Amino acid sequence: MYACLFVPDFPVQAALLLEPRDTRELLRRSPMAVLDGPCNLPKVVGLNDAARSAGIEVGMTKLQVETCGGVLLRKRSPDHEDAAQDVLLECAGAFSPRVESTCPGTVILDLAGTEKLFGSPETTACKITVSARQIGLHLRIAVAANPDTAMYAALGFAGITIISCGDEAKILAPLHVGILPASPELLEILESWGICTFKALATLPSIALTERLGQQGLNLQKLAQGRMSRPLKPVDPLPDFIGDHEFEDPIESLELLAFDLNRVLREICDRLVSQALATNELRLTLDLEVRQIRNGKNGEQYRHNWKLPVPTQDRRMLFALLRLDLERNTFSAPIKKLTIEAVPVKPRMAQGNLFAPPSPEAEKLETTLARIRGVVGSMDADGISCVGSPLIPDAYKPGAFAVQSFSSVSDRVAQSTIVPTLALRIFRPALETSVELTGKAPHFVRLWRKHRRVLAASGPWCSSGNWWNETTAWAREEWDVALKGFEGVVYCRLYLDRIQKRWFVEGVFD
Amino acid sequence: MMSALSLRAHIETRYPSAFATYRRRDALRILTNIPEVDALTGGVPLHALTEICGMGKTSVLVSLLARASQEHYCALVDAKDAFNPATAEAAGADLSRLLWVRCGKTKQKLRPLEQAFKVTDMLLQSSGFGLIVVDLSDIGEQIVRNVPASSWFRFSRVVENQPTALVFVAQQPHATSCAGLVLKLAAEPATFSGKLLTNFNLNAVVLRTREKKGVQSATSDFSMKAQWA
Repeated sequence: MYACLFVPDFPVQAALLLEPRDTRELLRRSPMAVLDGPCNLPKVVGLNDAARSAGIEVGMTKLQVETCGGVLLRKRSPDHEDAAQDVLLECAGAFSPRVESTCPGTVILDLAGTEKLFGSPETTACKITVSARQIGLHLRIAVAANPDTAMYAALGFAGITIISCGDEAKILAPLHVGILPASPELLEILESWGICTFKALATLPSIALTERLGQQGLNLQKLAQGRMSRPLKPVDPLPDFIGDHEFEDPIESLELLAFDLNRVLREICDRLVSQALATNELRLTLDLEVRQIRNGKNGEQYRHNWKLPVPTQDRRMLFALLRLDLERNTFSAPIKKLTIEAVPVKPRMAQGNLFAPPSPEAEKLETTLARIRGVVGSMDADGISCVGSPLIPDAYKPGAFAVQSFSSVSDRVAQSTIVPTLALRIFRPALETSVELTGKAPHFVRLWRKHRRVLAASGPWCSSGNWWNETTAWAREEWDVALKGFEGVVYCRLYLDRIQKRWFVEGVFD
Repeated sequence: MMSALSLRAHIETRYPSAFATYRRRDALRILTNIPEVDALTGGVPLHALTEICGMGKTSVLVSLLARASQEHYCALVDAKDAFNPATAEAAGADLSRLLWVRCGKTKQKLRPLEQAFKVTDMLLQSSGFGLIVVDLSDIGEQIVRNVPASSWFRFSRVVENQPTALVFVAQQPHATSCAGLVLKLAAEPATFSGKLLTNFNLNAVVLRTREKKGVQSATSDFSMKAQWA
């Protein structure tokens, strides 16, 4: 069996999908029309029942519609209709893996083998209706033994229509032949014969019809009889998880951006949920409008990637991450388009390790880290992250360190022995100082604007590295010294940069 | 007219905890892995604010981090970016379980101390960390002294409901009665053996503890070996 999902007044319903959920139902009951065409003469291309009752018709100009008063007008957007079609396909995809995108506002799905999952065709149709209403689409559904019969029944009858095998011609009988895919000339001929309904066409003698209208006429008759059979052309089962929105006027306010960001993100997350997937990587691209074209550059983009430690479907968390990042940034030009891409992965099924210590909740932690970055900044002047786990790189250089992203789901490596050790507090950057020497050992050191006598010194400890590269070569002579001050003894580490011939205080033992 | 007892019974039926006495939790503790300090303090209490101050505080802190990172996720809010990861690794800390927040490294509206306090607030709200250390050692004494008492009180009350040890490391103690444990360290002359600085001799004093009144003002001497000794 095949089910056809048809969205009546598709341009209007596609426009309504953009409205907030709470006001959508209210707008649905108000007269609404969608306009398309040249800017100076837009015409109505879609309208709802309330608008029809108000006397609006397809083809009326904007001026004519405005004379009726109280009619909501929306501009037709192919992007929005594509998005609505995607939503419809996702809705159908939740009930069958084989879904055909027949035309805008119409999809056909193969229900073969889904009875055990969803029940009889009637039950399945009811479930599809409920699911579509939750998304914001009001559908007509027809179930029949072949795709075309289901499609014409959905086009012609409101609500849910179930056509049993053998009843096709009887049920399709009252439909008008105008909905068949015939050329205007052919329809004119049929009209001249007095053929207006499917029943009239179905009862014509086939041979005589073929003699007069050829193969096309015979095909139309088969469609009217509900006997035309064709294979379904299913779409790619896995949709992409990319959402975008182009602003009519470039925007500068974060509030306006956040509104559409949230909407696009919601669509992507809904898609992920419908496919039982999650994401662990989110890519945001903002196309900026460059006012002054310099050096042949006519556009700029802001890109940012987020790699999450655990896959998530949590829209609020993802939105908070995006928003916190955007709040930290300033853009050189207004934003004209936003694009979000989510990399789909399988969701985390269970807790990783029952014997692991209590850890910060991974999703919550990401938001906290983003907030912390907002307070302390992301990177220091050397390009090292300000928030993360410290890492000792495999580099032969004193004081070398890196900061990697912190994760609360990483597995512990191996337990190492704990050895209480004398710790050194580091000055970043090292404090340049002047040192008076007695022989080769430091005797007086200037620290914190005071000359301090060296009570004891340990050194020199010489080391060098990267001698093959002039820019990164280093060579130093270290001394651990005890300095006398008014407040007591200070133990610190000095070093002589043998390339620059300058003394530095690296840190204080504490 | 109702008697006091009947009035009390009447109130207690509606609000059972109205006359209940507030009891602090029996605090679990994280050991510092320095036997003398652990014997003196019993370890750093969870659900409480601890202050470690004086010369030698960083060595105790690193040892505490090494021990805590074996069992908990830890966070270090480094107000002046003075933490040396190499020392912590040498002490046996699991750096992958340590969140290091380096304050004051970029041009921000807030000053390092304000950043450190705000980040600490966020980490406490986030929950899940067994140990949160706030290193204020290199912040000027005058500045830390100006922190209002209400901030310390707030931290103390927030951490009380969490299985977290909140440790402030500074030159002097500031949290007064909000601290569950105040440990003050002082340096004795270090040992130079030949050309090597080998031992850092320290003296620890417990200035304040909530658990055992008897150990207040108790002292202990110990030494920290240098990594190369």
